[in-house]
Amino acid sequence: MILISCIDDRGGMLYNHRRQSQDRLLRQDLLSEVGDRPIWLSPYSLGQFACSPENLRPADDFPERAAAGEFCFFEDRDPAPWLDRAETIILYRWNRRYPADLYFPLPLTGWTLARQMEFPGSSHERITKEVYIR
Amino acid sequence: MISKKRGAALLLLIWCLLLAGCQAQPSRTAAPVSLDSIPPYSGEPYIALNDNEPTFLPGEMTANSYEVYSPLDSLGRCGEASACVGTDLMPTEERGSIGQVKPTGWQTVKYDCVDGKYLYNRCHLIGYQLSGENANKQNLITGTRYLNVEGMLPFENLVADYVKETENHVLYRVTPIYSGDDLVASGVTMEAKSVEDNGDGVSFNVYVYNVQPGVEIDYATGESWLEGEERPAAGGEEAAYILNTNSKKFHLPTCSGASGMKEENRQESAASREDLIAQGYEPCGTCKP
Repeated sequence: MILISCIDDRGGMLYNHRRQSQDRLLRQDLLSEVGDRPIWLSPYSLGQFACSPENLRPADDFPERAAAGEFCFFEDRDPAPWLDRAETIILYRWNRRYPADLYFPLPLTGWTLARQMEFPGSSHERITKEVYIR
Repeated sequence: MISKKRGAALLLLIWCLLLAGCQAQPSRTAAPVSLDSIPPYSGEPYIALNDNEPTFLPGEMTANSYEVYSPLDSLGRCGEASACVGTDLMPTEERGSIGQVKPTGWQTVKYDCVDGKYLYNRCHLIGYQLSGENANKQNLITGTRYLNVEGMLPFENLVADYVKETENHVLYRVTPIYSGDDLVASGVTMEAKSVEDNGDGVSFNVYVYNVQPGVEIDYATGESWLEGEERPAAGGEEAAYILNTNSKKFHLPTCSGASGMKEENRQESAASREDLIAQGYEPCGTCKP
């Protein structure tokens, strides 16, 4: 599983059942990273993809369905129980503080930062993308 | 008898008035939150109210941007501020100076345990990034650094980024909550609901504590002291210098240059002489502070 999440400066992901933020150019980068491979996500996450490419696979039990080498987008679900199954973790950082009540389990002990890049979002000054491998 | 031209002008006026009347404005103030229902601060900068559901009425939902501020009360305190935040309300330039505003309970005081040293910030009720309001006395309260940065800012960021990304509107209401005649608010309530998607994007109702960990505050006056230490004698800390934010000169409080200064350029400061010089200020040539 290639696990993907968006987090704020304190690892926050969600507040009051809603994503902290969204960005059109981040979605574009995410879909470009995924290419033609399947990406599993919750029905809630599907809602932010206005045009739905065929490789988007919404399911309530989406983490269980993601096979090795397939992407899994965590927005409204705690990724902690699934870290053991992840081969790669991709974190998009908003570089902002938002309120949060669901957090990504940081720090990523035992993982190595393999790739990092920054890009301007459509509504965020600077988004950082980090790719971690074991 | 009304001429055709006058008749057309009258019709246009009536049409404009009707249009203005159709633009929803806040028709009520929020039911005040009783401090008795708020648990004491326990380490989290904010708590959810009403299961985190805002209390806007259906009639208040509008996609027309506006901002409304309450008149100051008899003690000079701010009241509820509300807005419908859209991209057209957001600022297009950097924030200007707000140092000339002294909200009720204001004290210039520094502690090493506070991020940035200064205990109090002039806290915007409707954040500058949402409304572009600068030195509006009806929009600025005495708030701790912790209230400003840890409590309110994350919610302002959430709303601002949602509006910028979607170009939707967000109904937004911030209400300072005072105990009795206190000059400093105990906290603020913040409510928001996105309009076009009926709260799917943004929805919250929270109470944010106006506290500063490590510092005790007398909310009646704004006086403060380090936690665990004796409260200082009444009178509080006097400002060491008076700054002219326009000329960039600083004066002793007794200097004639300080008393004759325009109010909008005047700012009290407890900073040290060295700090002020490091900030680009020069000592007055008359009082030689």
